[in-house]
Amino acid sequence: MNAVALNALIVDDELPARERLQRLVAELPGCSVAGVCSNGADALALVGKLKPTVVLLDIRMPGMTGIEVARHLGALENPPAIVFTTAYDEYALQAFESQAVGYLLKPVRRERLEQALKHASRLSSPQLLKLGTPAEPLAARQHVAVRLRDELKLIPVKEIRYFRADQKYVTVRHARGEDLLDESLKQLEEEFARDFVRAHRSVLVAIAHVEALERLGDEGYALRLRGETEPLVVSRRQLAELRKRLASH
Amino acid sequence: MVFAVVLIAELVALTLTLARPDTAFLTELARISMFLQWLGLTSAALLCYSRRWLARLTVAQSSSAAFALLLANTAVISLLALWLGTAFGADGRVAAALPSEHWPFLLRNAGICVIVTALLLRYFFVTHQWQKHLRAEAHSRIQALQARIRPHFLFNSLNTIAALTRSDPQRAEEAVEDLADLFRATLRDSHSPLRLKEELELTRIYQRIEALRLGDRLHVTWDVGQLPMRAFVPGLTVQPLLENAIYHGIEPLEGGGTVTVSGRVAGGEIEIVVSNPVAPKNPGTEERVGNRLALDNIRQRLDLAYGGRGSLTVLQEPDRYSVTLRFPYSE
Repeated sequence: MNAVALNALIVDDELPARERLQRLVAELPGCSVAGVCSNGADALALVGKLKPTVVLLDIRMPGMTGIEVARHLGALENPPAIVFTTAYDEYALQAFESQAVGYLLKPVRRERLEQALKHASRLSSPQLLKLGTPAEPLAARQHVAVRLRDELKLIPVKEIRYFRADQKYVTVRHARGEDLLDESLKQLEEEFARDFVRAHRSVLVAIAHVEALERLGDEGYALRLRGETEPLVVSRRQLAELRKRLASH
Repeated sequence: MVFAVVLIAELVALTLTLARPDTAFLTELARISMFLQWLGLTSAALLCYSRRWLARLTVAQSSSAAFALLLANTAVISLLALWLGTAFGADGRVAAALPSEHWPFLLRNAGICVIVTALLLRYFFVTHQWQKHLRAEAHSRIQALQARIRPHFLFNSLNTIAALTRSDPQRAEEAVEDLADLFRATLRDSHSPLRLKEELELTRIYQRIEALRLGDRLHVTWDVGQLPMRAFVPGLTVQPLLENAIYHGIEPLEGGGTVTVSGRVAGGEIEIVVSNPVAPKNPGTEERVGNRLALDNIRQRLDLAYGGRGSLTVLQEPDRYSVTLRFPYSE
């Protein structure tokens, strides 16, 4: 067992829960605690810095849920293995059962923890992305994660003005600039259907940031966004749907 | 009971009379009524007398026994009527009112008795089943309404205790005692109300357990000095409000917040307000149904306890969520 050392990052918003897991992990042979933190944003920062082999991730945390943290970790090139921990969460557990995702029920038993740590496998990005779908309270992410070398940069969804698909990547345009995203426009459209709408085959725009729909000579229409100087061209096919969504907003 | 028997007998008499249009209505009704009232009252007396014995039998057995008793009684009363018919045969007027042919009379009466008894037994059986069902339903409703502690709270508390067992055994011990008190309260008979003092004490116990887990993220301000502590309150009506405030208000806030519990007496009513800060709404997060269920539960228990005189109202502001509990002041 000494050959493969397990290095765990513990993420939980409750102090007693953190302390207990910390102690249990430290007592297991061949396992050590890489770090401890109390929220999702810190967890994402620490994963880049500490490179743990496995993350013990509480599901119900203020700010960013464990599920969302996991989905962002999926954007990393070498994401750590993930084991979720929860005291009681029917929705999430159903999803985990169906996708063979590792989880532990609190209070965690030592043997279960040992087993889970040893069998924790890396989840593929599609697996991680699927985690959000069945559970209503955990559904849409509140951030999207952009990979910068080994680190993750989080962009709040509220600050996103639009997504634009180029050949291979999706560019996300937000309040502080532009970044490249490793997700498909179609997935993004499904996940954020409530707040975003297609303006064009390759553009998904945030309804809340739209200032006006303008006529462009005889050529058609364009959208003016708050804080953007360049208008976004609207395709004829999307015009009717776009008008409807803007009107009902 | 006697009145019901008389009424049923009279209704049957009326039915039988109505079915014979070729006779003088009132005379016929009087004749049949007299016979049936005898029959009805003696049958009721018989059944009443044998009630203890019948109660020991199964439903099928006691029904058959009741059937046999009534049929026998019908035969006896019919024979009596026939005997009277022959005894007073001399007086023409009386004789006309009494039956004279034996067998057809006996058989007709037996037939009618079988049908009416069958209908009545069926009616009593169905009514009885219905009442049993109603009682069972009311019972299970009360059981279900007995405030339940969220599993989320139970397992998190157990986890906290597991952690404290090593790091701070004394606090772990206290937490177990607190948890025991709280669960004992949820298992109480929900019919007997609590004194306000006890209810507030339970709420404070609940707060202590949550404080172990949430640390300084949880602050609770109490302003209940004016409340009459001897007043009665349906058990576990204030505690779930604090539980809701913590679950939906404090837990989603990274920095935590302050829940306020305040109370006063106004116009013979006790008013308790529990209010919590609300996390700014994030896109994609919907309000959980759990909150509404908990409030509905308290509302229904207030209804059971006070009829329409208790109420629970919700005030939703952009940054605060307040629930007001009102109920009549009684000691």
